[in-house]
Amino acid sequence: MNLLRVNFNEAFRSLWGARQRSLLALIGIVIGIGSVIAMVSIGTIVQQESIRQFKDMGVDIVTIRRGFSESTAAPFRADVIARLPQEKPLISEVAPYVNSGGDYYRGRAKITLEQMGVTAAFFSINKLAAAQGRLLSDLDANRYCCVVGAELAGFLRQNGMPEPVGGRITVNDRAYTIVGVLAPSAEGGLRPFGINRGMLAPLATAQRSFPNADINTILARVAPNTPIERLKAEVSDYFAKKSRGAQVEITSAEELIERMKKQMQMFSLLLGAIGSIALIVGGIGVMNVMLISVTERRSEIGLRRALGAQRGDIQSQFLIESVILCLVGGLIGIVLGTGVAFGFARLSQWQFVMSYTSVMLGFGVSTLVGVFCGFYPARTASRLDPIKALRS
Amino acid sequence: MNEQMLDIVDIRKSYRVGPTEVNVLKGINLAVARGELLAIIGPSGSGKSTLMHMLGLLEKPDSGLYSIDGTRVTYDDDRALSALRNRKIGFVFQQYHLLPKLTALENVGVPLTYRGMAADEIRKRSRTYLAKVDIEYRADHRPNEMSGGQQQRVAIARALVGQPAIILADEPTGALDQKTGEEIMELFRRLNREDGITIVIITHNPALACQCGRAVKIIDGMIYSA
Ligand SMILES: Nc1ncnc2c1ncn2[C@@H]1O[C@H](COP(=O)(O)OP(=O)(O)OP(=O)(O)O)[C@@H](O)[C@H]1O
Ligand SMILES: [Mg+2]
Repeated sequence: MNLLRVNFNEAFRSLWGARQRSLLALIGIVIGIGSVIAMVSIGTIVQQESIRQFKDMGVDIVTIRRGFSESTAAPFRADVIARLPQEKPLISEVAPYVNSGGDYYRGRAKITLEQMGVTAAFFSINKLAAAQGRLLSDLDANRYCCVVGAELAGFLRQNGMPEPVGGRITVNDRAYTIVGVLAPSAEGGLRPFGINRGMLAPLATAQRSFPNADINTILARVAPNTPIERLKAEVSDYFAKKSRGAQVEITSAEELIERMKKQMQMFSLLLGAIGSIALIVGGIGVMNVMLISVTERRSEIGLRRALGAQRGDIQSQFLIESVILCLVGGLIGIVLGTGVAFGFARLSQWQFVMSYTSVMLGFGVSTLVGVFCGFYPARTASRLDPIKALRS
Repeated sequence: MNEQMLDIVDIRKSYRVGPTEVNVLKGINLAVARGELLAIIGPSGSGKSTLMHMLGLLEKPDSGLYSIDGTRVTYDDDRALSALRNRKIGFVFQQYHLLPKLTALENVGVPLTYRGMAADEIRKRSRTYLAKVDIEYRADHRPNEMSGGQQQRVAIARALVGQPAIILADEPTGALDQKTGEEIMELFRRLNREDGITIVIITHNPALACQCGRAVKIIDGMIYSA
């Protein structure tokens, strides 16, 4: 026990004695562990962020998409969709929608606008709230009114419409009265793309006036704890019967989350691998420093052997030294790597999550690097012939 | 109990350097009694240091028998050999070989750390032996803050601290001026006389050898009584 403590003291003393060299080796390890930690942490942050977007919407949402094989290219019929919740109680709410993008000009200013035709359910399923005015209700069907996304509203305010609610917006020669402005919503998950730049009109109006008004996608809310396989079977069956053999693709939020988690794991692994290369370089630095240390201290090793040190004593002395070097480097690396991840999260305005796994990983890996890279030099030291070592 | 502290019988050692074989020790017989102060003299290259490394269990003979303190030495187990070295042998070198980063007190304690002794106990014993060789006032100094004679005293304390069967000193005065060398010799004689410590000293200097109880001479790998 005392020997261990003595070895620790010795290791610190010797590392401090050659501090310039130790520092160089330390930098290698700091960069190595730092990049692994930063990479893995950033991977975790990205993963958490995208999962959070899904969870934001609720995991009880599925999308039902029209199959794209040639023979079944007929679009969904609104009336067939509307009856789905009654016929299949697994589905509690449906929100079919149409969308098409295009440029919208006010004077010289341009925005890529997302024209959407939606029903009232669309707002609740997507957790959209009105910042000003009101949302659309089913009573708005066939009226030329709309709500606009937050970004589009900002565009309108800057370009001659200080008060969007009550204003009129003309798209494809049709004028729509703006009845509400949406609060900003995060992109991602099952939420359709571009809502913030959206001009959301009633679905019935859209089907009469939008250039492309086929219903290709339905968002649906599912009853709690519905097995996804059964849901798929029932919904496919429904559309096959009601819509002349139309095929559908159903994707649940949960499935997407799973798929994404897998992708993110691969992503994290890849990032970790990139960081590992830096770590290997750092490890080689440590091994180099340890080898120099062994060479420089040959006579010390010989003396210790003459005074009765076992081979194992010598080996553990050098092993401890290299592990300490790597652990100190690892500690600094963990702090730096976490700092980098924190900065990344800040810049991306994402939520920072402390990845404890990566911290544990950092400590584990640096210990491992210490043992691994210290082993060969330590073994060399312990195998030195005491007399030859003493004479040098 | 065996009267001999060391007993070597027909020890031989040769080194192979390239194609030629150098016979360094050509059948050495030597017995060192308990409480003896023995000098080994001989010309340079005669094999004195090689013999001392043999006695100190740092070198394995090609053939021959070796007993120390009544124990037959076997060379196949490095652990046992290291432990034997730690408990039975105290080395004093010409170049002192103190660890530069440790204080005198810490240097003296090194052999005891390899016995797994508690730190307090090690400090206590180390201090006792520093006092014994009259260098306690330098306990907290590092080697580069001490003169050669002072360093050699610390090295002798380190050799004594484990209460070994024998002290092996290879030209302990070789790096010292004459006066300091004589002081170190006097210290050895006092330790031998007062504490009955068995000591083998290798030296070039016939005058120093005369001060020892017995002297043997090595010439070209063979031993003769002087
Ligand atoms: N490892 C070795 N390999 C080859 N030859 C060796 C080795 N060790 C010692 N020798 C040879 O053995 C002979 C005796 O060496 P040793 O060091 O024992 O002499 P010594 O009597 O101590 O000399 P000195 O008085 O100069 O210290 C020398 O000729 C030396 O070259
Ligand atoms: Mg010699």
